[in-house]
Amino acid sequence: MNRAAVLTGTGSALPPRVVLNDEIALRTGSSDGWIRSRTGIVQRHHATRGMTTSGLAAAAGEAALKSAGIGAVDVVVLATTTPDQPCPGTAPAMATELGLSGVAAFDVSAVCTGFLYGLATAAGLISAEVADSALVVGAEIFSSILNPDDRSTSVIFGDGAGAVVLRAGHAGEPGALGPFHLASDGSGRDLIAVRAGGTRQRLAPEDYTPADRYFSMSGKKVFWRAVQCMAESSRAVLARVGWSVDEVDRMVCHQANARIVSQLADTLGIPRSRCFTNIDRVGNTAAASIPLALDEASRDGVLRPGERVLLTAFGGGLTWGSAVLTWPSLGCGDANDESVRHEMRRP
Amino acid sequence: MQDTYDKVVNLLVTRFDIDPERIRPDATFEELEMDSLFLVEFLLIVRSEFGAPVSEDAATPQDTIARAVELIEEKLVRTPGS
Repeated sequence: MNRAAVLTGTGSALPPRVVLNDEIALRTGSSDGWIRSRTGIVQRHHATRGMTTSGLAAAAGEAALKSAGIGAVDVVVLATTTPDQPCPGTAPAMATELGLSGVAAFDVSAVCTGFLYGLATAAGLISAEVADSALVVGAEIFSSILNPDDRSTSVIFGDGAGAVVLRAGHAGEPGALGPFHLASDGSGRDLIAVRAGGTRQRLAPEDYTPADRYFSMSGKKVFWRAVQCMAESSRAVLARVGWSVDEVDRMVCHQANARIVSQLADTLGIPRSRCFTNIDRVGNTAAASIPLALDEASRDGVLRPGERVLLTAFGGGLTWGSAVLTWPSLGCGDANDESVRHEMRRP
Repeated sequence: MQDTYDKVVNLLVTRFDIDPERIRPDATFEELEMDSLFLVEFLLIVRSEFGAPVSEDAATPQDTIARAVELIEEKLVRTPGS
């Protein structure tokens, strides 16, 4: 039997401050109704000053390790768009916070597709016998890069973290990950971007405009590409695994916008009732959205052992990708133990 | 043409919660409170469900429903097998 990475635990963390639509609507000249009708979002969480992505990631990671019933892993992969700082990577700090100094730890940058890219990378390390176990985390403090006056982004994005633990197993067992499908198109790199702070627009005062330090997104073009790319990628990964659309019990896609999720489901022919969504409560948490949704869906019993699950995401780069797995039976661990989450709270 | 118009009306009512009483051939998307983001979604549905290969900027909020129906018909005629 082929060696494969098997999902064995989930965890998540949200900063305690809940930001309702009205608070953002006041500043951006929109309204609760406008935001709900266009995005499906009712609230999102924002970190307070002083909270770091590594801290939020560690809280989710700790919950996932407890859920898996283990204390350590061989490798830590962190997908984030909002690292603690541009250099160095955030994963080593997060690993050390978890008491895992010494293990391999690195960041993956693929914006909203980051978690799936990180998951595929970690699964590959396990399959190649580089590691026997891995912690894969998606974590964002997206509020740190939002322009508070930009209605098109500030209403959508929120902060949060989700994590999964992988162990070495075999390809046929529940929880075994894959196949994957990953893709990119750099010609769309300006559609989702923080323009300043790299080699294209350096951080010399004469080289950038202050607005370019913030995140920006071309909402219409992203909507158009996101639905089609996720549909294409989903079909590709379903063809690889040999499942028909009817055999998908649950789709957990990147929580970009409730209307994108619905449109994707309709395009694929998957009943909307089979699509897990939590965007109403947490907004779009970028790289954190899929693991945050998986943890919530698993703990709430929406994802049940034996269900065939399709994961798909689209994000900046442009990047997109999909993965499939049969949902495993997960130990409860102490995932509901509030003390695990430090100052964070469960979704 | 009537068939496509009826399908478009049905789409606007069922997917975008627009009151059917307000939909007329000469009504613009803007008048129906369909902004450019909703229009992108509308065009995606036209692609996937009508099989008409429209582009993302094929229609604007200032276009009428009749114009959108014409556009869909043109694309369907040019697409063999649709």
